Amino acid sequence: MSELFNSLSILILLSSFILMANKRVKSYIKTFRFQSFLIAFAAGIIGVKSILEEGRFDVLLVCLVIIILKVIYIPNLLNKMQLNVEYKVEKDFILNIPILIMGCCAIVMFTYFSLSGTDIVSRGAINNQIVNSISLTLIGLFFMISRKKAIGQIIGFLEIENGLFITALYMTGGMPLIVDLGTFIDLLTAVMIMGVMVFRINEKFESINIDKLNNLKG
Amino acid sequence: MGLYLLAIPVIAVLLFAFTKKNRIQHRISLSASTLLTITGAVITRDVLRFGSLQFGGIFYIDSLSIIVLDIVLVAALLVSVYSVGYLETEIKHEKLSAAKLRIFYILMYSFLFTMILALIVKNMGIMWFAIEATTLSSAFLVGLYNNKQAIEAAWKYVIIGSVGIAIALLGVIFLHLSSIGVLESQQYLDWKALYHHSKALNSSIIRLAFLFILVGFGTKAGLAPMHTWIPDAYSQAPTPIMLLSGVLLNSAMYAILRTVAIVNRNMGSSLFTGRLLMAFGILSILTAAIFILTQKDYKRLLAYSSIEHMGIIAVGIGVFTPLSVFGALFHMINHSLTKSMLFLSSGNLHQKFDTKQILKIKGVLKILPVTGTVFLLGLFAIAGAPPFSVFASEFTVIASIFNSKNIFFGFVFVLLLATIFAGIAVNLFKMFYGDNESGDIQPGEINIPGTVCITLLFVVITVTGLFIPKGMQNLILMAQNIVMGV
Repeated sequence: MSELFNSLSILILLSSFILMANKRVKSYIKTFRFQSFLIAFAAGIIGVKSILEEGRFDVLLVCLVIIILKVIYIPNLLNKMQLNVEYKVEKDFILNIPILIMGCCAIVMFTYFSLSGTDIVSRGAINNQIVNSISLTLIGLFFMISRKKAIGQIIGFLEIENGLFITALYMTGGMPLIVDLGTFIDLLTAVMIMGVMVFRINEKFESINIDKLNNLKG
Repeated sequence: MGLYLLAIPVIAVLLFAFTKKNRIQHRISLSASTLLTITGAVITRDVLRFGSLQFGGIFYIDSLSIIVLDIVLVAALLVSVYSVGYLETEIKHEKLSAAKLRIFYILMYSFLFTMILALIVKNMGIMWFAIEATTLSSAFLVGLYNNKQAIEAAWKYVIIGSVGIAIALLGVIFLHLSSIGVLESQQYLDWKALYHHSKALNSSIIRLAFLFILVGFGTKAGLAPMHTWIPDAYSQAPTPIMLLSGVLLNSAMYAILRTVAIVNRNMGSSLFTGRLLMAFGILSILTAAIFILTQKDYKRLLAYSSIEHMGIIAVGIGVFTPLSVFGALFHMINHSLTKSMLFLSSGNLHQKFDTKQILKIKGVLKILPVTGTVFLLGLFAIAGAPPFSVFASEFTVIASIFNSKNIFFGFVFVLLLATIFAGIAVNLFKMFYGDNESGDIQPGEINIPGTVCITLLFVVITVTGLFIPKGMQNLILMAQNIVMGV
């Protein structure tokens, strides 16, 4: 069982590398959908396990919410959004892709070294999984600063959220249900609000390049 | 009783959704905020009498939360009185359409609801999502004017706020992890249970938790270098929202305080949290000092001043002696009241002169005699001049720094405060000299009820500067004991 979790966690980390290497907004959304699917899969296995062993239904419920929200609804929303605002394909990233990937590797090593001092990692079974999932969060942050378009930033934010969720899942077997559900409500509202704002930015600035948001300084 | 606090904003939002007339909306808002304030007063009395209140399983109010809660409720009352005149003027100047008023009120009361929710729950997870929800409910309020600058500010507000708060979630997850095996499953993330069992929590994990929570909620509290959204949001938001988000900084600081109480009890000393808080605090004050000295926009200047004061509160908590925690909590109250007064007067100024540039405004005292006078004295107050209340609490914090033998740190701290005083004096006092050259601005006050609010606030900050009312002192002392873990 733990090998399955290990490989899933590595796959999830890998998906964040793929996301970083994507060039077009459309492929971000695809990769994000894939990543969310992997996370839902991990949650599903843990959910089934917790039903069989403890009779708890909450993790499976959360898995269902992830599938509806992160695998189906939000990617579709983003697709619709990018069709409406994207009228020409431009280069979206600031540094080139090999350098970004090297940056991701550095983040994983950094996470490993900073966590190796605590006794979470030395406790054994969960060590690599935690390093991978916290790296995912940090790579999400890195993704946000490496992209110029507003949609890129939304994807980065969602990746951070994915990283947090998988961290909580692997480390603690999921947060209390009410907290998890609250997080999803917040996430959904956040994405919708950001979506509306992307439209407004596009309308006023005639582009969704956040480079152009530079009126307020000092 | 406590549930009324949540019910009133919800009912108000529903009523707003079904009314079209602006006059009725104003009335609903006024009565809702009055009811909220009355409920707040009753709960405060109960807390003073019984120490803490628990209801509905997840709700818990003690003296620490009631201090921040009362600030929010007072701010709500002020805002609802001020908004009537402010919004009518905005509609008259055609900056807002009459239909937007309903959206404004609905979002404002949702914003209030989330702020109140964050302050009355004991589960750190729910507290987290309530604070995240404050960002979301106020995002459109920041961008209400829907021009280029407002949208830019709102985008930055949402992105920086959400990412910051996401980092805080990682902290909450670590907090949860540190308690596994110590707490029962129905007690997970319960602040009271964490606090009582704090000695048994896993220290190395709780340290990580504190780091993430400090950076995460620190973003919402406006600590440098995560402060960048504050000047943008404050300068673009409508004045009532500017005031409410000023109060919001306290809620984020409150979440940090709750964590500090647990971590320090766990570690048995305040060395770890203290150093971090003092470093973030002094960095915030330094950043604010630099930007205040070179500022050209008075709303942004006030925003940087908020960053400075959150820095002072962080330093007060970081020093972690009974005196310094008392000073920090007292400063939280004083800063909020004084800053609210300044925000409201700056709103009057903005509506009268229609500019945010300091250099374009002259002769404030002649054109707005009451607002101008209060604004001038308020600037002295916020810069830390006696006899106002901000002076009293700043002095307490400074005394506690020197008492705890941080002589060099105290020296730098005082020097930076003096720089900020000079910065405010050099920049803003220009507005009060001279005559207004363009003749098209008529002397005379606008928004009379709002101006009455401003004057009342001024009386309050002067009186509390001279002596602290007994009830307030007791509340702060009780809260201080909670933070110190006595």
